[in-house]
Parts: sequence; C-alpha cells; structure tokens
Amino acid sequence: MNGVIKAKIYRFNPDKDKEPYYKNYEIPVDREVTVHELLSIIHRDYDGTLAYRTFKCYKGMCSTCIVKLNGQSVRSCATPLKIDSEITLEPVKGGRVIRDLVVDFDKM
Amino acid sequence: MDVKNFVTDVVVIGGGGAACRAAIEASERGMNCIMVDKGRPGRSGATPCALWSIQAPFGPRGRDERDSPEQFFEDMVRAGRFIGDQNITEIVAFTACDRILDMERYGVKFKKYDDGRFYQTPMPGQTYPRSTFMYENGQHMSTVLAEEVSRHDSIEVFKDFFAFSLLLNDGRVVGIMGLDMLSGDVLTINAKATVLATGGYTSLWGFSDNPPTLTGDGVAMAYRAGAELVDLEFNQYYGTDVIWPPSVRGTVVLYELMIEEFANGEITDRNGTSIIDKPLPIRDEAIKIIFNVIREGRGTEHGGVFFDTTKSPKGEAAVRDVFDTMTPKHYHFLIDAAGIDLAKVPLEVAPASHYQCGGVYINERGESNLPGFYACGECAGNFQGANRLAGSALCDTQTMGAQVGGCAADDAKKLDLLPPDKKNVKDQMDIIQSFLSDKKSTQRPIFLKEEILKAMDKYVAPFRDGKGLKQGLGIISSLRDEIKKISIPDIGRYNLELREAVESLLALDAAEVTIGSALFREESRGHHNRTDFPETDNSNWRCHTIVVKKGDHQAAYSKRDVIYTRLKPEDK
Repeated sequence: MNGVIKAKIYRFNPDKDKEPYYKNYEIPVDREVTVHELLSIIHRDYDGTLAYRTFKCYKGMCSTCIVKLNGQSVRSCATPLKIDSEITLEPVKGGRVIRDLVVDFDKM
Repeated sequence: MDVKNFVTDVVVIGGGGAACRAAIEASERGMNCIMVDKGRPGRSGATPCALWSIQAPFGPRGRDERDSPEQFFEDMVRAGRFIGDQNITEIVAFTACDRILDMERYGVKFKKYDDGRFYQTPMPGQTYPRSTFMYENGQHMSTVLAEEVSRHDSIEVFKDFFAFSLLLNDGRVVGIMGLDMLSGDVLTINAKATVLATGGYTSLWGFSDNPPTLTGDGVAMAYRAGAELVDLEFNQYYGTDVIWPPSVRGTVVLYELMIEEFANGEITDRNGTSIIDKPLPIRDEAIKIIFNVIREGRGTEHGGVFFDTTKSPKGEAAVRDVFDTMTPKHYHFLIDAAGIDLAKVPLEVAPASHYQCGGVYINERGESNLPGFYACGECAGNFQGANRLAGSALCDTQTMGAQVGGCAADDAKKLDLLPPDKKNVKDQMDIIQSFLSDKKSTQRPIFLKEEILKAMDKYVAPFRDGKGLKQGLGIISSLRDEIKKISIPDIGRYNLELREAVESLLALDAAEVTIGSALFREESRGHHNRTDFPETDNSNWRCHTIVVKKGDHQAAYSKRDVIYTRLKPEDK
C-alpha cells in the first residue's frame, strides 16, 4: 500500500538560525514506518541537514531517541506511523535543544 | 578551526560496559579520568542491546556446585577452537565472579534462588549452567554502570563526543582527538594512558543486530596509529535475528530460548520442519546449519528461517511468560514497533553480524604494541578465539574492563604527561578539514557508507572465498577515490553528515583489514568459513592473524603463535 506521511518538523541550528522554525515534508511510503525510520528517510533522501539522535540502541531500550509526536513524548524507534498520517515532531523537554530534534538531556 | 585541549591521566574511549568498568577502576586507583561516549553513557553502543546472560562460574554459590573457574576456562578455550590467548582467558575465568559481585554492589539486579545462590541459565557450550541472569538485561546493566561512573568525582564524562583519532608523541599514544557533537568543536584530550573500549564493529555489515553506528572507528583509529590488530576474520554471526518486517530488522531473538526449560520451540525451514536438534549446538555450528538451509532454497519468503514457539507443548501463556521475564525489552519492542507477538506468530529470522572475536592485539594487562595505548571489551582481540560462547561478551566487559582500567591507571601514575607532536595534531585535524573544503563534486557520505556495508554483506559473509574477498578489496579500494570527493555543505553543531564522512573514512580501513585478514587465513575454523579452504588446518593455521599498517593503505599480514598456559591442544 502506498501513501504519504506529512510531517511538520521543528528546526533550529543555533549556529545558523536566529529563531526556531517548522519545516514541512511530504514523504512517500509503501508501508507503516516508525518515527525513527521516517527521520532516517528524510535525512538520507530529502534533507541531510536534519539533526536527530543516531548514537542510540535502535531497539526500544535506551530512550534517547524520544521526540514529541503531536505533543506526546514517544520513543521514535518503537512508534509506528500510519500511512497517510499528518504529524508534528518537536524536541522533548528535559534539557537544552542542541539542534532540531536533538536534546542535551539533563538526566541521561 | 580552533582546537580546544583538555588534560587528564587516563582517557577512556567508549561508554558501554567495558568503558564504564575501566573508568571506574582507573578512578578507584586514584587517577583522574575522562570517558568519552559517542552518544549518552550506558545508552549507546552494544551493551544496551545485550540480553540477560553474563557467565560466571559460581559453583556452590550458583546453580551447579560442580562448576569452577577451571571449567569455565576450558569451555572458553574449546569454543574458541584453541585460538584464544589463555593468559587473557585466565583473567576472564578467574575474576568473573568477583566482577559480578561488583556489579551487584553498583545496583545491577540478578535473579537469585531463595537461599541467596545465583540463578544461572544453561547455554550451549557451558559444561554446567553458568549464565547469571540480569533482570531487564543489558540495558539495565549499562545504565547502572553509567550511574556508577557518575558517582565518581574523578571521572568526567564527555557526552555526544565522537573520537576519531589517537594522538602520538614519537610513537607513544598520548590521547585522542574528537568531534564534540554538542558544540561542533574539535577537541583534543591529552592523557598519560589511553584506553580503547569502543566495542565491536558489527554494523560494518548491512545486516547486523547491533546499533548501526558501530562501524569500526575504534579499531580503525588504532590501526591508523600503528597498533597491531588480530583475528579480524572471526566476525561472529548470530543465527536468529529478525529479518522481516524492516521496522524491527536486526532484533535479536535467542535460539538458546528454544530448550525445554524455556520456550521449548523450534527453528524451522519454510515448511515447518525443525532444522536444529537438541541439545542445541554452539553458535558457530548453529549459524552454519541455518545458512545451509537458506542456501539450499528451504528458506522463508524474505530469506530466513522461522523462529517458532507456536507449537510449543508449554502453550502460549507459558511461552509468553518466558519472553516477558527473560527478554522483556526485546519482546515488547517487537510488539510496540511492529505489532508482533513472538508467542503467537512464527517470526522470520536469519544470521546477522553479531560480535567481533578479533580486535586490537593485547596482552593480559590490556597493553597493545603502542606504549600508552590499551584496549578492553569487544574492540580488543585475542582471547575469544575463533568463536565465543553465550555470556562471554558481557563477562569480558567487566573482567577485562576492570583489569585494563586498573593497569592503565597504575602505569599512568608512573608516567609524565607528554604533549602530542604538532605535526600529528595538524595531520589529524586535516581529516576534518578535507571534508569541509569546497569541492565541485557532491558525493554524500551516507551513500558511500552503504556501499561499504553492501560489499561486506556480499563478500565477507560467514561463507566466503578468495575470489569474492578480492572483489571486496577492489570495491574498498575504488571507494577510497570516492571519499576524496566528499564535501559537506552543512555547518555547526550536531553535523551528522560530517560525522558520517569521518566514520566512512575509518570504516574503509576497518573493512580493508577485515577482508584482508579473511583472505590471509587459508582454512576454515569457528566463524571463518572459506569455501575454497573448507578444512580446519591445525598444522598451519592454529595461530593468530596479525595485521599492522605499513605506509599509506599498505597492510602487512602475518601469523603469531597462540599463548597456551593451562590447556594445550591434544593433538600435539
């Protein structure tokens, strides 16, 4: 089954941007993907400048991939997205934002 | 670009089980320590993905009173096909119980019998049940260790720090250079002793059950500085990792759980015929059986075999309870990410890259051939041999982690701090600069890295031959030209493309010497199966493979005798 995921993603590179902003992506998919997979597809095929956590476990264990999905904190590697969903992704609270979705966690 | 400099006694590269334990030991011996982690300590690298099993021969304090360090030693030597150095194996076998007690003191929760003895699970290749059982598995262990590190004031932790080279003063290793992802700055850490604990590089292969970030920076930076590497051809595959669906690809589900005591299920071909007999074989034998079934065309739709507990005589509820108590994180990850309940449906699994038996050549103190440079954990080489048992990897992180961290600290006490050579600093800095300079072409590192992984999957699978390995080397060589074309337009902190570019550069070295080692060893043993040399050749090849750098991209391969202390091979 083919479809599109529409993602509105928080962007902020303090070395370049004066203010945070949101960027919209429309990503064609042929199956349900996890939030992590979606971010990897965007980084690989659409926008190499998107920053998200990659030094992590990828198996639902470490919790460092948490992002805010439509206002709720989720583990991005363990959270599937329906085909044709529209989502907003933002950094979670609990530390300063380093860049885009990457947070310097106070407790991890 | 400015380079900021930090100074310490002992610098530890890595943030998993071995790195944390080495840093704790160095600190407890009175040294200041900086530990650098590519991600967040205890939450990146391979340790969080590990399962419950950590071997320790508790004997009367455990499940079977007959077990002993001597028996543990012998089991490891035999499983390693007599290629492991026994001076190191002795330390692992004889200090394992003490290190487990340390872990318990730090806060790791072990399953115990009512009378206080350690509960231990039987795993293939263990003469007596020897794997102590950590609730919540490797993730629990690694976060507890990271918390213990944070209780030591003399350990400073640099998080999100990507170390990419060793610094030298006239052949002595005097620290590291790395990229601070949080600021985008390049930093040097000048130290009296440098401990490599970066884990393995299983994700130099595309299909791996470890995090994809493990692509060989550690061994590559050691190699580039002149360290000897050993036995890289023995990359261990694990038999039953999820191959489908893609969202959970590479999740490890243990075939060791198929015994009667646990899930009592079967590994089957696509027709449901069981392919692995019980008692279960050890890992190098298990993966050969699975590979052959797939090669014979009896595999599943996506090229695997089935991990099937649905016909277990124990029934669904009891099987679910096994997964839920023994591998709770992995079990629930499959449900959360893909809606798959292991107790209800057969799962497609296949052999994936799992562990490096080889790595930096060390002695029993963790010293490499380079003064001031030590290694422990999976990135160190010569004790697992040609194959390793379940529960030996985590055990190694604690035993050799403590041993090597302690030895590095003892040596650091006697040493002066030497600065890196100025030319050396500039050369290492040029690695970064070369990717930032403006070029016309637009090769992207992420695609280059994918090419390396594809070549490894294709030519350095557990069954390999000289012709394919040479083709693999050819691809690596052609990618060296491509990497020169990389130009990173992005700037500033957390620059993933810059990180990928440097990782690719290091991965090319790791790939080249791994393929080269596999080509050098003209026999089959453990996890190294040459289809053009299918026999084990003890008269010529019961020895280590050593590789060391000679000039630019010139690797020199040689043999070295294995160190036997307590148990010599019987046939001589």
